[in-house]
Amino acid sequence: MRRTPRPPAIAIRILLCAPVLGLGLTGCWTPPTADVQPSGEPRLIQAGIPVTARREPAVVQSVDSATRTLVVWTPGEPQSSVTYKVGPTISSLQEIEAGDKVEVTTTAQLSVYVLRDGRLPGATPETVDVGARVLSVDPSYRLLTLQYPNGQTETYKVKRDVKLQEMSAGDAVVVHEGEVIALKRKRR
Amino acid sequence: MRISHQPGRSALALTLMGLLPASALSQITPDQANQIRNTLSERIEALTILGGDFGLAGGTFRSTGRFTSSQSTDSTLGVTKLGGAGDIGDIKPLGSLPIGWQLRVQGNIGFLDATNTVHSPLLEGDINEFKTSAIGFGGGARFWMNDQFSMAPTLMAMYGRTANSYTANSPFMQMNFDEATRVGLIGWSVDTLTLRAALNFQYIVKWKRTVITLSADPTYFHTDSLHSTSTQISVNGDSGYLSGTVDVDVPMGLDLFGHELRTGGYLRISELYGNLSSGLQMPRMNEIHGRVVLDFLNQLWKVQWLGIGVSYVWGSNINGVTGGIDATFRF
Repeated sequence: MRRTPRPPAIAIRILLCAPVLGLGLTGCWTPPTADVQPSGEPRLIQAGIPVTARREPAVVQSVDSATRTLVVWTPGEPQSSVTYKVGPTISSLQEIEAGDKVEVTTTAQLSVYVLRDGRLPGATPETVDVGARVLSVDPSYRLLTLQYPNGQTETYKVKRDVKLQEMSAGDAVVVHEGEVIALKRKRR
Repeated sequence: MRISHQPGRSALALTLMGLLPASALSQITPDQANQIRNTLSERIEALTILGGDFGLAGGTFRSTGRFTSSQSTDSTLGVTKLGGAGDIGDIKPLGSLPIGWQLRVQGNIGFLDATNTVHSPLLEGDINEFKTSAIGFGGGARFWMNDQFSMAPTLMAMYGRTANSYTANSPFMQMNFDEATRVGLIGWSVDTLTLRAALNFQYIVKWKRTVITLSADPTYFHTDSLHSTSTQISVNGDSGYLSGTVDVDVPMGLDLFGHELRTGGYLRISELYGNLSSGLQMPRMNEIHGRVVLDFLNQLWKVQWLGIGVSYVWGSNINGVTGGIDATFRF
């Protein structure tokens, strides 16, 4: 007597085959890395991409109310001092002292390049001062993840007009620091 | 991590006393008693899974189905759930293998209220009510074979409590109410423990900015009763479902309150097996869901999106609409 497999049995067989099928269709998983040569011709993809970044924890190294500048460093990273211009909307600068732990929100502008040997080739090859590299791009949710030379990563939400579809891992990024737009003192 | 909350109600058709022959309450034969026990056991297991599992839709459903050859019920069933499953953190390499992995956690808390108005010559107008509450937690891991394809084996334990109450409006049951209570056919409560083993297969397709997620979820349940107030009622059974889902997530390119609007939804077809199928009196449960949400990813804590969603759920015995807040988180 000929037996017909029951529908659940067929479905389970299909599901069991799915992993094999999935493996066969595409390659293997590799962790994201920024140390790759991006595809495409060397060029400036986009400049002046505005982003906001939150730096936490940060410790105040010095503060100058007259020039409205703030120098902070990240605990455990002696070479991490960064000087910021504090925006006019921040009224709490007077209350900040050296040694305070703060949460700093800053603006920055990014320029994203495809480079060859760290340069933009042309009639007069231009050396670009790379501050970070693209680690990953999510065009659907407009997320751009950068990896800095110290290994830290940061994900930015970018505006809809940013050409994320043209960006990929390994692209060089020049970071133009802006000013502090929010400053919150934490417990010392 | 995605955690979805869809307050609302769902519905299923249930009948309990409808399955009992009228003579059962005055003179129960061993065969009839066995049949009653099995039927109740299936129902309790099915209700616990429906109320406590995040993989099946919540909402309010209504049915006027016929469940036995002689009786039908007018049933409403409300299921309120809060729970979901999600992958935690970044994908990490699995040793030196070309496979990535993430921790996966899942949990759910659910409440179910099934009210059945019995329509039969003997029990006409009687109301049989089941209240189930269930809570479950578990986890596993998601293994990424490449950037698109992954699978996630998980284990979960679920505690459930189902209580029955019966309102006798028919002359027959008014006369036999005490006897039915004494023998443990009505007015009982039972505590259960369910083990849930599942495997999720997921394939992600990205087209321009649209994300299409195809997934399949074979899921197995084993339920045992821990404690019962009735000697007639105990649970020991196996259930399962196999669901296939197509989810589409589309950014609309429009901003509202500083966040991009997204739309999308999913179609889910679930084949039910074992006591889940026999207890709910249906072999399949389908759901179509639509949503309009705002993108909060990387802007508000771990919220991926927040908005409203509406589902229509249907099966051979039931149909219902559910709507509410649609929230998803990414940890």
